[in-house]
Amino acid sequence: MKKKILVANRGEIAIRIIRAIQELGHVAVAVYETPDNDALHIRLADEAVWLGDGPRSDYLSIEKVIAATRKCGADAIHPGYGFLAENPDFARACEEAGIIFIGPPSEVIHNLGDKVMARKIMAEAGIAMVPGTQNLPAGQAGVDEALIFAGKYGYPIMIKATAGGGGRGIRQVENDEQLRVQINVARNEARSAFNNDNVYLEKVVLTPKHIEVQIIADAKGNTVHLGSRDCSIQRRNQKLVEIAPSLIKDQALVDLICDTAVKAAKAANYFNAGTVEFLVDKDYNFYFMEINTRVQVEHTVSEMVTGIDIVRTQIKLALGKDLSFTQDDIKIRGFAIEVRINAEDPQNNFMPEGGKKVAVYRSPGGYGVRLDGFVYQGYTVPEVYDSLLVKLTVFGFSWNETVDRLRRCLSNYVIVGPKTTIPYYIKLINDPDFKSGVFDTSFIETHPHLIQYDEQASEVNKLARLIAEIHYEQENRYAI
Amino acid sequence: MERIVTGMGISEVLKTMRGTEGYYITNTARDLSQSDFKNRILLHTDLLAARAREKAGYFSLEITGGASVHVDILRKQVDPFLKLELLREKMPKTMFQTLCRGLNLFGYRPYPQNVIRLTVREFAKYVDVWRVFDFLNHIPNMLAVFEEVQKAGKILEPCICFSTGPEHTDEFYVKKVGEILAVTGAEILLCIKNHGGLGSPKRIGTLVRAIKDKYPEMIIHYHGHNTDGNDIGRITAAVENGAKIIDAADHAFTGYYGPPPILSVINDLRDYGHEPVGIDEQAIIETSEVLRGEREHYEFFESQFKGFSPTVQIHKLPGGAMGSSFEQAVKGGFLDKMPQILHEELPKVQTELGNYWSVTPGSQILWTTAVSNVQGGERYGNPSGDLKNLLLGKYGPFPFYNPPDWIYEKVFGPEWRKILESQGGLDDIEDIDIEKERATLAKRLGTTPTEQQLVIYLQHPNDAVEFYKFEEKFGKVYVLPPAIFLRRGGFKLGENLKFRDHFGKEHIIEIGPKEKSEAGEWNVYLNVDHHERVYLFKEKTQGGAAPQEEVLSKEELLDLAKVGDVRSTFKANVCEICVEVGQEVKVGDKLAVIEAMKMQTPVESLANGKVEKIFTEVGQPLKVGDKIMKVAVAD
Repeated sequence: MKKKILVANRGEIAIRIIRAIQELGHVAVAVYETPDNDALHIRLADEAVWLGDGPRSDYLSIEKVIAATRKCGADAIHPGYGFLAENPDFARACEEAGIIFIGPPSEVIHNLGDKVMARKIMAEAGIAMVPGTQNLPAGQAGVDEALIFAGKYGYPIMIKATAGGGGRGIRQVENDEQLRVQINVARNEARSAFNNDNVYLEKVVLTPKHIEVQIIADAKGNTVHLGSRDCSIQRRNQKLVEIAPSLIKDQALVDLICDTAVKAAKAANYFNAGTVEFLVDKDYNFYFMEINTRVQVEHTVSEMVTGIDIVRTQIKLALGKDLSFTQDDIKIRGFAIEVRINAEDPQNNFMPEGGKKVAVYRSPGGYGVRLDGFVYQGYTVPEVYDSLLVKLTVFGFSWNETVDRLRRCLSNYVIVGPKTTIPYYIKLINDPDFKSGVFDTSFIETHPHLIQYDEQASEVNKLARLIAEIHYEQENRYAI
Repeated sequence: MERIVTGMGISEVLKTMRGTEGYYITNTARDLSQSDFKNRILLHTDLLAARAREKAGYFSLEITGGASVHVDILRKQVDPFLKLELLREKMPKTMFQTLCRGLNLFGYRPYPQNVIRLTVREFAKYVDVWRVFDFLNHIPNMLAVFEEVQKAGKILEPCICFSTGPEHTDEFYVKKVGEILAVTGAEILLCIKNHGGLGSPKRIGTLVRAIKDKYPEMIIHYHGHNTDGNDIGRITAAVENGAKIIDAADHAFTGYYGPPPILSVINDLRDYGHEPVGIDEQAIIETSEVLRGEREHYEFFESQFKGFSPTVQIHKLPGGAMGSSFEQAVKGGFLDKMPQILHEELPKVQTELGNYWSVTPGSQILWTTAVSNVQGGERYGNPSGDLKNLLLGKYGPFPFYNPPDWIYEKVFGPEWRKILESQGGLDDIEDIDIEKERATLAKRLGTTPTEQQLVIYLQHPNDAVEFYKFEEKFGKVYVLPPAIFLRRGGFKLGENLKFRDHFGKEHIIEIGPKEKSEAGEWNVYLNVDHHERVYLFKEKTQGGAAPQEEVLSKEELLDLAKVGDVRSTFKANVCEICVEVGQEVKVGDKLAVIEAMKMQTPVESLANGKVEKIFTEVGQPLKVGDKIMKVAVAD
């Protein structure tokens, strides 16, 4: 039966979801704030509802999104990522309003969003975690417990706000002295930031790899994984390059990590698509980190190597279908790499380049190339949202082939107007460490020279630059 | 084999020439006019002409040297070494010839011996024939180059610069030839360098005859210019009297004050019974057919002075200096005084300063002195640094007689004898620390320089750095034809520009629209190999909007200098800072050296005190009134 599904998001992920909805023969409804008046997701959707002037506040408003759903008579909501996607109150509001929320139940989102609760569930299931504590007791008792923990596991140690997330409410300490002082500072900060002064400790895993596993579960509890991803290449906790599958050579270890992910999802009574994140240290010990209860930006790479449309599956599961494939049906073939092409100037500390018009947009094509974007020639990138313009995902049968293809695509990509991260990526994927697959989360920090690229390095671009100057100046100032 | 080809040593060249009837021809492509035009010919054009020029069978092609090394990097943005490499690919046989000054090589000031030697060594890898001169015909000034050229196994061609006047006798020049042979040995070619195109055919004929009488085996290469319209006459007289090699140029490209057309010379000499050796006349015609269409793109650089200039016999200023002198006169607003300067003052200065040879850098000294004598109100009242150096003998001894005492007194004051005694004579220029220079260049370029880059840097430090940075930014631009590189007035919308890059790839660039963005920047759209690109340019500041800068008069500037506020009195570049912050200085101490129009001028302290602050650095351009340094004046 034809359903109407509201996409509570914007940008490339809204378009990704709209495409899946339309492929399934359902009706896609977009929502938008005023700064997104010219956005492509509105044009591609079958219907669109204006939420308000925003910016961001209306995309984040549970009330307005539910009202929009009611107004257009939609049966379901896909939240995408960010905004309301991992807000358990939103999922609950949908449940209460009788709207299908395409994602896990609110309780699961709640449990996994609470870091301490999540650790507890995993501990009970016997899943290895970075050594850590429960919420520390208040006052001196908490400090004492912390010192005992430090004595056992050594420094550095993270103090984390239980209600924190996304890199906020975290501080690293190197010795007893700092630990004593910082516990109270962290509590005060957590109280003012999250209205909850609970903190806990976690041992710091130095220069780990960030490995994650895409999982999908149906309502009956059938849970499968779609293999691993390596998202180690990050800049300040922001993923830049994502790879599937992980380049860890020990296949037994990768299998173990994937099986552990399934176990973790089951322990949490997980439903729909999600991602289980792990840290892998230098000695290939792996630790559970968290479960993201939404579709990930980097889901594309898992799709490319498995052939499974994750968003389509999400919708089907939410609409009551069971998984149509088993773990045995899922085969990992080849490699996929995704880079996030952002409107940022890497040479200016990755400052966003929002507010600029895309004067020229020409994207690459050919075998093994996938684009998930929303910009078009003539589009002005709004200043008020994130800077992601397009995700370039390439597939190849071998790692080398995939890197070669990515290099070709990046070199042929033309975006004129805002500066982008393209030239930075070209430099990055030409780095010998990247090519040989040797990297962890310290890669960006330990490769600062990647920032030194020349945007128009090809010979013809150099010459064209002079011709442009002769044309503009009406004479060649270098020949006067 | 009669034909001379690259790779032959001097003995073989001499043997071949002595054993062959007829004369040889040098195509002076580098010197084909004496206006700015000659310096501007792009490598692109020379590459177009290369095949036909190779086929023509010249003894040599003069393609580098003189100011060309500097203009290559300054105005043509081409690497002087790369130029020779690429031409060599297309011209595997023809000898390449250069012209260099003994002390200055391809620059404007004397270089240390180790720089001269390194430079000659690097260029000798590409250059076969080395024509070397000194504007005072002072042989010791050329020794280092002589030695290095001979060491490299290349063809050495020392010059005697030629001029006219009662002192310029055959006897004098034959004696000069003897001085040269005493240091070089017999295995050389000898050039008679008649850069001004002075004297009559008869005069040149007797000079060649006099040298041949004394040295019958000598191979004489006559070089002249057609400034007065009569160089074919002089060439004819030279060959009739035994000159074996002559200079001429392609007829479609030679110009006012340039050498005469090759074909005309051949036709003329044919009737006298002289045949050129190894020459393919059809290829000479072909060369000009190729070049003719290119000439229009250089129109902007053509000499403003059409016709001939027989008055060169009076003022003796070579054509190159003529062009820049008129340009200066227009800028300086004294165009009306040019006849007086050229035809009255210049001959007078010439005589007063010893009747030496008016060629770089001596010609510039004569010219600026004549101008300041006429413009300054008081003759020799405002001497340039280079005039002072000339009078002190820094370039070498005067060839015939010294300037009169009153000029020394005017220039150096009543104590001039003491100054001359203590400071006079050729300085031994100390060798510089080449490794230190290499390190400085590496720092300025951000990469390890090649030996060739170092050599160019040692000749023209700032311009070399600018050039290598230019190349980094814009690539190898010699691939652009003059129709693009020298385009004025911009391109037409939709115009297609086609060229092949240095690496052999063909490109097409279509000119798109120009539009002003919301941010006030100009966007220039180009379709580069079917990829649209946009180039941003900041709006040029409008002439009216810019605040009027206060220009101080020279007197005001000197008054400021007296109280320690040292500023530039003319538009110049800083070439040396001679003091450090904190250093005590006295009136007359050299604080810095600035350079304009190839001339260096010391900036002397007009106050006693201590250097408090230095506002500028070596290589920085200065406008009139720009601060150089602050001297805290002692009480």
